[in-house]
Amino acid sequence: MSAQPFRLASGGLIDRSQALSFRFDGKSYGGHAGDTLASALLANGVRLVGRSFKYHRPRGILSAGPEEPNALVELRSGARREPNTRATVAELFDGLEAVSQNRWPSLAFDLLSLNGLFSPALVAGFYYKTFMWPASFWEKLYEPLIRRAAGLGRAAGAEDPDHYEKAFAFCDLLVIGGGPAGLAAALAAGRTGARVILCDEDFRLGGRLLAEKREIDGRPVAEWLAAALAELESLPDVRLMPRTTVFGLYDHGTYGAVERVSDHLPQPQPHQPRQRAWRIQAKRAILAAGALERPIVFPGNDTPGVMLAGAARTYANRYGVLPGRETVLFTAGDDGWATARDIAAAGGKVAAIVDARADADPARKALADRLGARLFAGGVVERARGGRQLDQVTIRDASGATHALACDLLAVSNGWNPTLHLTSHQNGKPVWDEEIHCFVPGTLPAGLAVAGSAAGRFTLATALEDGARLAREALGDLGLSVAAAGPVPAADDEPCGLKPLWRVTGGKGPVFPGKAFVDFQNDVTDADVELAAREGFRPVEHLKRYTTLGMATDQGKTSNLSGLAIMAEQTGRTIPQAGTTTFRPPYTPVAIGALGGHHRGKAFRPVRLAPTHGWSSEQGAVFVETGQWLRAQYYPKPGETDWLATVNREVLAVRETVGICDVSTLGKIDIQGADAAAFLERVYINGWKALPVGKARYGLMLREDGFVMDDGTTSRLGEHHFLMTTTTANAGKVMQHLEFCHQVLWPDLDVGMVSVSEQWAQVTVAGPKARKTLRGVVDPEHDLSNEAFPYLAARAVTVGGGIPARLFRISFSGELAYELAVPAGYGDAMMRALMQAGAPFGITPYGTEALGVLRIEKGHVAGNELSGQTTARDLGLGKMMSSKKDYVGRLMANRAALNEPERPSFVGFKPVDRRERLRAGAHFIGVGKAATMANDEGYMTSVAHSPHLNHWIGLGLIRGGSARIGEQVRAYDPVRGGDILVEICSPVFLDPEGARLHG
Amino acid sequence: MAETAQWTPRSAWAGIAQPGTFGAAGRGGVTATLLEGHGLASLIAAPGGAEALARRVEQSLGLALPTAPRIVSGAGHDVIWSGPDQWLLRARSRGEMPSLIAELARYAAVSDQSDARAALRLSGPHLRDALAKGVMIDLHPAAFAVGDAAATSVAHLGVQLWRLPDAAEGPAFEIMVARSLAGSFWSWFAASAAEFGCRVVAGRG
Repeated sequence: MSAQPFRLASGGLIDRSQALSFRFDGKSYGGHAGDTLASALLANGVRLVGRSFKYHRPRGILSAGPEEPNALVELRSGARREPNTRATVAELFDGLEAVSQNRWPSLAFDLLSLNGLFSPALVAGFYYKTFMWPASFWEKLYEPLIRRAAGLGRAAGAEDPDHYEKAFAFCDLLVIGGGPAGLAAALAAGRTGARVILCDEDFRLGGRLLAEKREIDGRPVAEWLAAALAELESLPDVRLMPRTTVFGLYDHGTYGAVERVSDHLPQPQPHQPRQRAWRIQAKRAILAAGALERPIVFPGNDTPGVMLAGAARTYANRYGVLPGRETVLFTAGDDGWATARDIAAAGGKVAAIVDARADADPARKALADRLGARLFAGGVVERARGGRQLDQVTIRDASGATHALACDLLAVSNGWNPTLHLTSHQNGKPVWDEEIHCFVPGTLPAGLAVAGSAAGRFTLATALEDGARLAREALGDLGLSVAAAGPVPAADDEPCGLKPLWRVTGGKGPVFPGKAFVDFQNDVTDADVELAAREGFRPVEHLKRYTTLGMATDQGKTSNLSGLAIMAEQTGRTIPQAGTTTFRPPYTPVAIGALGGHHRGKAFRPVRLAPTHGWSSEQGAVFVETGQWLRAQYYPKPGETDWLATVNREVLAVRETVGICDVSTLGKIDIQGADAAAFLERVYINGWKALPVGKARYGLMLREDGFVMDDGTTSRLGEHHFLMTTTTANAGKVMQHLEFCHQVLWPDLDVGMVSVSEQWAQVTVAGPKARKTLRGVVDPEHDLSNEAFPYLAARAVTVGGGIPARLFRISFSGELAYELAVPAGYGDAMMRALMQAGAPFGITPYGTEALGVLRIEKGHVAGNELSGQTTARDLGLGKMMSSKKDYVGRLMANRAALNEPERPSFVGFKPVDRRERLRAGAHFIGVGKAATMANDEGYMTSVAHSPHLNHWIGLGLIRGGSARIGEQVRAYDPVRGGDILVEICSPVFLDPEGARLHG
Repeated sequence: MAETAQWTPRSAWAGIAQPGTFGAAGRGGVTATLLEGHGLASLIAAPGGAEALARRVEQSLGLALPTAPRIVSGAGHDVIWSGPDQWLLRARSRGEMPSLIAELARYAAVSDQSDARAALRLSGPHLRDALAKGVMIDLHPAAFAVGDAAATSVAHLGVQLWRLPDAAEGPAFEIMVARSLAGSFWSWFAASAAEFGCRVVAGRG
């Protein structure tokens, strides 16, 4: 590990007693607790940290904050590798590994930097101009080439091993930013007992107070800050959240924030998430996010060693790092002078101060003299050079003479842009303030106020005043007392005069004119902006899309305004006439993992497990997702390797002896009240008033538009008590529909409904031995004989010596079949009891596959046919439509188009060559006709292999329907390359008389 | 024959959660009690019938049906508001459910839901921190008083929860989730409570 040649002997907010070791591009370096990766690299004299996006130019560290466009690295390794991490906000930890990006083969020697020589071909819009033809080359050739040459970091390519989570928080006042304005706001609000959340993206609260040598209330800022934080921590309803970026502002006072819980550690502590995404619901909020400093566009302004002036002083004051030994300051305003002063105080030499303003203020002249710096009032830096490390700047003085000066740091200041991003998130447009030369917040989102620099009120004193005042106003607005808010912290105003300088032109260039960068991250130069202006891409949105200005991961934090200013200059307009810069969430990049939180992999969405799930698992069932439910699909036996063999066995067992299948997932709705029967009359197409107590009936309901919504059996358990069942898929939808009908359409009906789907475990017992099996489970006092318990009987019984149960003699399989329901806690016991009772008959559990085969053999419709595009008549159920009553969907079902005889309707199909396999989704085409949309006659909805018939059978919808039974058509399946002859037949393939049902 | 089969009820938490501890050791930030054995029924008053139902519940159980999202508790029963003119009735003893249902059925649509929910009592100094990772409503003492109840969603699944009087170890809540979703709920809960250390105990509802 090497020494830290640029580390100051004392000062700053780093802990020199805590040495940290880290690696950059494979080389070991040392740093201290409190460093960022950027400050530690600078301490070690590392200036070159990356290559640029398009031209592979050497790049260094421009900023000390979230706006950093250049110093992007891949952090960590393996599955935790994280691309495009800004070194300026990456907190240093022991063992940190970082790798520079976008260089090949190495950072110092990059072959692709030759791109810079061919740069005339790579100007704005070059994608559109160069890679036009032939179109087929784009995907195979151009894009892969460009992707390799231009690009940023590499994603890990492996599953993220860390856990992420979400959290929800509520407060009276959300303070965004922990600088002077935010702290003053939090103190004022917190003291009153209000619920306050203070978020700051930095790992240390204080904002600019961490980087400035100032006084508040007559005390050094560090002292004041420590006292303020101690006080805030003592307030029980104040939550301080460092390392937390508020990235978005949403409707009704909702804010999105991401807390980097473990980013400052090699890996999360046990049971800790890597990051936590917060949704904060704030009654009021104060944006105190500060401001971002603006660079100046001039040739070579991307050379490593050219740095924002505020950043240079942050490195000196906060991190105890001398950002350069020989500094030149290039400033357009007063603020840059603080950097010259602080760098000199830290022991750096200030070689020259280039203040673009022509007026020679005597106080500034005196300060330059005191610092021993040459002052160029009214001068500019027209060029920076040095390649991988700045070594010289060319200064053009007020008279036009040029001076070459050696230096290793050029600190640049062009004033500040308020960090007003959140004020734009609801479409608010910033407005240009001619006095202070920047955009300030325009119309504010409801509940949000803006304090301090974020509002364009840049001095420390106004920041403190703003924070305290706006907090009082917000609480007053909420009707809370502000009596205890305490005094407003006081500070002196600092000078903040500014005459912005957007770019420097007119320098006499060498052979290759130096590039002057507007957008560092996307390699957009001033020439690109000029080109856009010449070619007519003048509106700011066109400028952005044509040049990619502001489209990188930094979203133009340091570039948008320069680009706009140059466009304004090119087109003879003012900046506000040229356009505004607006922002959308997120403020800075947010990991997808944080947004997903716990919900990934198996926890992606909730899974519902049937009451018999444990038992089915024991039996080795294969499960299938049906909506949220996991249902047993089939139960393979040892030796069965083909699912079809398993399903055939299960189907034959039902047809020949007895099988059981969990149907707990069907929706079950308890409907009670004096008007329950009347209610059913209105939601179903068929009649219910005459259904006797103790009987079940098949019902079909329509949507308001006349198409079929759902079907199922409904049983009358009492005079005013019905139990409706729905399909598994539509359980929620039907419940919602019934609630709507009751609450909105017929609130006068005396009927109450509630889902009891979760209360009952329900199992189908089907097959010739079903009754005998049940006899061993249902308590003996209940007579199950055909006479006492006929087809469609539905009654309460008991099992296991008095456990309440319900028995329904209904059949989906066409066999003698029952459904037995017990309270869900007994579902597992019921399965075991049935298996035991049916053992003498070879009872066989079956899953949803066999269930499907059994119903297809009987021609019963299910989800595939209830597609939302079929009517009752389409499905052959038109006779159920009662003409004696009104019901939902009746009128619309009678529309002419829904009753055309040519509408595809429901029939069965079998392959003419019985060895052929049918495919659901195949379309029907007339024999000898071309496979075109015009000749499409319908499609196959369901298919199954019938072990009973020993060939494939299908159900489907075809023009003309049952009138065409006996005809042959093509089943055309271009997706799977199928085209076979099928015969139209009755959809009932088995036992059309229903003899088995009544057995 | 039926008498040879074991008709033992299976807990909604069986195979999902069991007594013990998980997460950060020695912290005890959250305690989860797996509630068993209670009876539960949904009550829906007929149009205009809420007052008659309330009188009957008052007479039989000594409880005033809440008219806002609240829980009202007595020695053996609780009533929890779950919608306009709708309540959940919980009985400590499941055995009395059939007679209770029969009695109240004259005044309301009553449906047995004793097996329909998986229930937890949660307490501990870090309980609110753990719940904040999924509960999308404000549970701060100033916003959610003892006895307040809510139907809301956690981790994409529906829950009902209410606040109990604070326990010795900190704030206390009960939460009910659909039985079929108990596993998914627990997956979220375990991940959310782990950093605070969680003790799981068996208890009676």
